[in-house]
This record gives sequence, structure tokens and C-alpha cells, in this order.
Amino acid sequence: MCRYICPVGLQTGSELNNARAKALLISYAVRGQKFDESFAEAMYQCCLCGACSQDCATGFEPPVFIREARTEAVVNDVVPPNVQNVITSVLDNDNIFGVKAEETSNRLKSLLPDAKEKAEVLIYVGHSALCRAPEIAKAFIALCGKAGIDFTILHDEGQSGAELGDLIGYVEETVDKAKMVVEKINATGAKKVVPLDPNCTRVMRQEYPAWECDLKPEVQTATAFMAELIREGKLRPGKIETGLTTFHDPCKLSRDLDEVNEAREILSAMGIHITEMLLNRKWTKCCGTEILKAHSPNITELTAGGRWDDARRLGIRTMVTACPGCYDVLGEHTPEGMEVKDIFMMLAEACRC
Amino acid sequence: MEFRGYMIDMIRTELEDVVGVEHVSTKKSETTVYGVDYFWISRMWADRGMEPPRADFVVRPDTTEEVSRLMKVANYYKIPVHTWGGGSGSQGGAMPMAGGILLDMKRMNRLVEIDEFSMTITAETGMILQILENYANEKGYSTMHYPSCITCGTIGGSLAHRGIGVLSSKYGKIDDMCLGMEIVLPNGDIINTLPVPKHAAGPDLNQIFIGSEGTLGIMTKATFKIFKMPEVRSHRAFLFSDFGAGVKAGRDIMQEFKPSIMRLYDEPETRSIIKKVIGVDKKGAFMNITCEGKAEVVAIEERIMKEICARYGAEDLGSEWGEKWYENRLTFFYPGHIMDIPQMYGTMDTVCTYDNVEKIYWAMKKAIENNFEGVRFIAHCSHWYEWGTMIYDRFIMDNPPSDPEAAISLHNRIWNTGVRAAMKNGGVINDHHGIGLKLGRLMKEQYGPAMQVFEALKKGLDPNGIMNPYKLGL
Repeated sequence: MCRYICPVGLQTGSELNNARAKALLISYAVRGQKFDESFAEAMYQCCLCGACSQDCATGFEPPVFIREARTEAVVNDVVPPNVQNVITSVLDNDNIFGVKAEETSNRLKSLLPDAKEKAEVLIYVGHSALCRAPEIAKAFIALCGKAGIDFTILHDEGQSGAELGDLIGYVEETVDKAKMVVEKINATGAKKVVPLDPNCTRVMRQEYPAWECDLKPEVQTATAFMAELIREGKLRPGKIETGLTTFHDPCKLSRDLDEVNEAREILSAMGIHITEMLLNRKWTKCCGTEILKAHSPNITELTAGGRWDDARRLGIRTMVTACPGCYDVLGEHTPEGMEVKDIFMMLAEACRC
Repeated sequence: MEFRGYMIDMIRTELEDVVGVEHVSTKKSETTVYGVDYFWISRMWADRGMEPPRADFVVRPDTTEEVSRLMKVANYYKIPVHTWGGGSGSQGGAMPMAGGILLDMKRMNRLVEIDEFSMTITAETGMILQILENYANEKGYSTMHYPSCITCGTIGGSLAHRGIGVLSSKYGKIDDMCLGMEIVLPNGDIINTLPVPKHAAGPDLNQIFIGSEGTLGIMTKATFKIFKMPEVRSHRAFLFSDFGAGVKAGRDIMQEFKPSIMRLYDEPETRSIIKKVIGVDKKGAFMNITCEGKAEVVAIEERIMKEICARYGAEDLGSEWGEKWYENRLTFFYPGHIMDIPQMYGTMDTVCTYDNVEKIYWAMKKAIENNFEGVRFIAHCSHWYEWGTMIYDRFIMDNPPSDPEAAISLHNRIWNTGVRAAMKNGGVINDHHGIGLKLGRLMKEQYGPAMQVFEALKKGLDPNGIMNPYKLGL
């Protein structure tokens, strides 16, 4: 019943791109049809954004069974080549972007060359911000400095399991990667870890306990962290002028982490009044993900276009988001006369960082 | 390479020339998912792991012009063309029974225009109905078309089988809501119906194509009415001693004003579905009624409604149960609440004048329950007209034959028996689910010599017989 809310199906127009079709293929595979590469390809044409689960009155969770079907694709050796390249990149270098591990480490070092070994707060930058939107990480670090926070970052972050888990499922390889990250984070003695990417926040908060990853610090979303600093008076943003502006709720933040108010609170603190799109908060429409973009950029071009259309119909000029992946995907396909802005970069500007 | 393979590749190349390589597919995953819709037989077939009917080519056009060119290719090679929207039809109308081309229309999902002065909305027919409603809502309006398939069905699908929504008693069926269309004829010509549906320039072209189930052409754009959001939408429920008293009250209400929703459940449904979904645990016939519009008008309508229901001895259950019904209006159709595989079931969806409602209800119930062991019959009246109502009559069998072919055979015999009992007593074969594959064989019985009108249309518009073969009895 969830065709109307699937960001991929709505844009590709293909029956294959809805939860019913994927469930049907799995059902046929269970009943003896060969789970071949075409079945596997269908499983990867999905953002795992959870809109279908949000809408499902009967409690089906397509992201769960689609992720499990991806594991099946790996086991049966039928992963499409474009996806296999991305999986290989994560297994070899911990990121989906094909950037060598040594290079990601250098980039982290350049963000905060004198990062302390121990601190109260650990900012977990994540590969989307590091590889696709380092300006977000720079702004966030500048805000932490301005607020006088005792913080640090890792110079080798590893793979949180967010990307690998979505690509091959919650299997041993994914959990092993996550455990290595946990070890590094715990070693900093931080009381709080703040991932910039809601995907990382989600796995740390919701999957690590099930994976028996003993992450010591509390996991806080980047938006909640900054909203708290504003509330405490540690950040005092000035007003920012924008045209007609909306906020695009990142799906992992709003649906999985159940957080919809903090970003709006930050925007309000900057004097920004937002015009809501029809699909907002927990009903947000995914713009596409970095993972989908890494193996099927033709699909994320469509999904980003779908989200821009939602804004354009309301005459909106500026779309603000709070996820480096959304910022990258929307930014790559910004229509003429419109712009995407990252909430932390705006806040840094408002705080004169 | 065998000759057939050679020709298939030739045809595929032509299709790719029209829509692009990426929008033509012969992949097993694609042909599998287009081989199962909401038709009980297709779902049972899939549930038992049987090979689904497969199209040879899945094709996704982006524009009317592409549809036009595709029709020319299909006619040249005389390849069957099946049109697919959301795949939510219950009659097998979209099933690719003859192979060939399956046109998935969902890429054609653009909003064309909202005319706030004339109060119309125009969109391409591959649009999901809820998206159309969203676009109207963004401007503060509504299409007032809320079928149970709103989240998965398309505009085209709804038009193809003359669909209906829960608010139909006030706002009408899709054929009342649609004002005009763009259609691609089987020969590839693109035509438009007249700018308005009410005129004296011959028969209404809209009504020739609405309900044609893809057998006479492909609807590519459609214009609908939009409405202001009602100031008040007020729900109420009543309990009648029996189904017949409820029918009489419904008839009287429809002579005075038009509630948006009026549903009357027979005693077995009141004791089963209403109890399960809404929580009303009472014996009798449950009826929920919704009045909407300007507050002062609604207040008058509610007074009349209460007077009429009281006249037939109904217990006024207040607003709570009516509101609960509205909140759960889609829940009725979700797994766990509706009949589902592995049960065998069917919704016969009969429409008739008021004088025949009870006669048909009892004739169908008797015909089905007396002739088929282990099959029960339940019903409610969902959609009301000034002259009659529809009976949402359903049969359910908890333990159908395990052999799939035996199950199909029994399914068809039950349908034949039930529908023939309805027709014999003045009922019409279907109100809003359509005919599709399921009921095609009964169309000649329903229409008699009048069927030649449809056959002539079919012959004239689709001389090669390529459009959705085996559907609508054409």
C-alpha cells in the first residue's frame, strides 16, 4: 500500500521499486525461484529510508527484509557489479567513495591536526562529511571551538557499520568493523560521541547493543548537540536572512531517531522561518542516499529531483538539511535558482565562527 | 539464433528507440512482479509458487507521444498491449495474460495544472491517487476521491475500471469526478475529449473510455473536479435491528440530502468485521454516516439523519463509533483485518435499485451458502445513490482446495453462481471493481444483444485485437 511514499518508485515509475515487489520476489525465491542477479539488483534499488515501514499499518518492515535479501545476494554471489565495487571499497578502505584509507586519515588530520587523545566529547565525522562535504565538518568543529567544548576527533575513524550494514546486511564483517570503531572511540574516554551523519548515529544507538558492541559514551545527534549549546547560551547565533526556506528532514534522523524538533529550534534561533513541505518530519521523503548514489547515481538524480520538486511547488528557494549525505545528494542536483544549505554551516555563519 | 529470438530482438530495438534502452526490460525480476496483482487467483497462484503470467517486454513510457509511437509498433507487429498502473485491481484487469508488451504508466506522473478558478486539477494518469490528493491539498483543496487503494492505485487504474472512493455518496464515482481526458487510441492517434463533460454534442466520449479497462485505448491525462475542504466533517453511527431497516433508512436519507459516507453492515459483518476493527460488540446492523460541508448545513443534515434513523428504530450510537470507523477506513483492507490468502474469497460488488436490494442479498446468500460447503456470505452497502445502492457482498472459504487448478475452478463456479443470482434478481454485475479477467465471461449474459455496441467499438478502434486481450469480455 506504500507506493505513494516510496521515493525511488515515485521517480523511476517502476513496479520493481516498491516494497510489494521486493516482498513478492523474496516470496518467490522462498518458493523455489532462483534468486538471480535481477532479483539482487531490485533489492539494491532502495534507499532503506523506512518510509514504507512508517506507513505500514500491519507492521511489515521492508528495510529489514530488503537488507536480509542483500545478504542473500552476497551469499549467492549475485551482487550486481556496480554494487560490488562499492562493497569492495568499504571492505578495503572503510568508505563507499573509493578513497584510500590513508587519504581519509590525512583529511581527518587536516581537519584538526592537534586532536587530543582524550576529551569529553568525540565528534565522529563520518565518511560522507569527510569525503563529500568537509566544509560541514569544518563548520561543526569551529562551532565546538567557539562554544568552548572539550572535544576531539579520531584521525582514523574506521567504518561504523552504517554503510557496510546497508550493503551486505548485519553480518559478521559488519559487526567486526563496528567493534573496531567502538574500541577507538572508547579509548578517547569521551562521555559523549556526536556523529555528524545520522546514519552513523542510528547504528551506534540502535544496532550496536544488538551487535554486542560495548560503546561507552552516550550517542547524541549533531542537531541535538548544537541545540543544547544554544539553549545553554554557549552559542549565541545572530539572525540570518534567507528567501523562502524549508527544512528537509533526513530520514534516519526523523524516522529512525525520532528527532524532528531540534533542527527547527536551531533554525528558529537564527531567525529563520521555515515553510514546511507536505511530506515533513517523520513523513519526510528521502532525497536519495550516499550509498545509492555510489552504485546507482542515475536513481539518486531522480530521487533528489523528486524532493526538489516538492520544494519548488511551494515557491521555496532554500532547502536546509542536517545530514552530509542529503547535502551532497541534493547539492549535486540543485535546480537553477534554488540552493541547499547545511544547518551547521549556517549556524557557524550566524555565530561568526 | 532461432527465428523467434531474432524477431524478439528486432521488436525490442524498436521499443527501445521509442522510450530508451533503460525503460524496456525483459528481466525475470520485472516480469515476475507484473505477473501478480490483487486478483485472488494471481495471488493464490504466486502463493503456491506457480509460474506467473509474464509479459515479453516491460515498457515504461514517459510521454503521450511515446505511448502513441509504442501503439504504432505494437499494431505493426500485432503484439498484445497490457496497461499497468498500481497493480491494485482485484479483477485481474492488468494481468498480462497474452504476453507481449506491458506498459507501466507510472513514469507519466506529472501534475499538469491546478485551475483554482474553475476548480479543476489535471495530471498524467500514471500518478498515484494519493499524490494527486497531496497536490490538491498543498493548495488547500481536495479531490474527495479516497478509495481504499488511494496509496497504491493510479489515476489511470481508477478510470479504467470506474473506481469509487469512500466519499462517493456526496461527491460521486470517478466517472462523475472526471471532466476530460487525453487518450491514445490503439492506432496511435492522440485524441482529447471535449473541454467540458456536459454538452449536447453527441454522446460523452469520456464515458466510452472510462471503464474500458485498457481494451479501447490508453488514457494518458485526465482532469478532475477539486473541492474546498469541508468546514465540518461529522461522523455518527447507528444500530438497526436488521439489514432491511437500514436499507430503508439509507434510501430515505438519500432523498433528503447526500451524506459523504454511509455504510450499512449486515448482521454477520457487524458481528465479525465491525467488532474486530471498530470494537462495537452488538447484535444488529451497524451503520455509520458522515455529513460534511458548511457547519450550519451539516447541522440540519444531522437533524434529518437522526429523525430518519429513529423512524426505523435505530439505536443512536453517537459520534465515537462513526469517528472510529473513519480513522480505520483503510484498516478494513489491511492484512489481519480482511480476508487473505490462504483463504479463498471474492467481493461480488453488486449494484441495484432499492427495490431489489434485499431480494438480491438473500438470493446470493442462499445460492452461495447452499451450493458450496464451507463457504460463508457476508455483505454491506458502501455507496449510495438516489435510486439504489451497491451491495459489497463477499464470500469466504477458509479451506480451499490445495491443488491450484482445482482452486481456480471452484473460485470461478462460486463467482458464476453468486453473480448469476444477482443478475437474475435485477442486479448489475459490478459497481466499482470492474470486470477484468474475472468477470469477462459473464458480460454477454449481463448485456445480452447490447454487448454488440461494445464489440463494434472494439472492432472499430482495435481491429487487430491487441488491447488487453481477454478483459471485459472483449
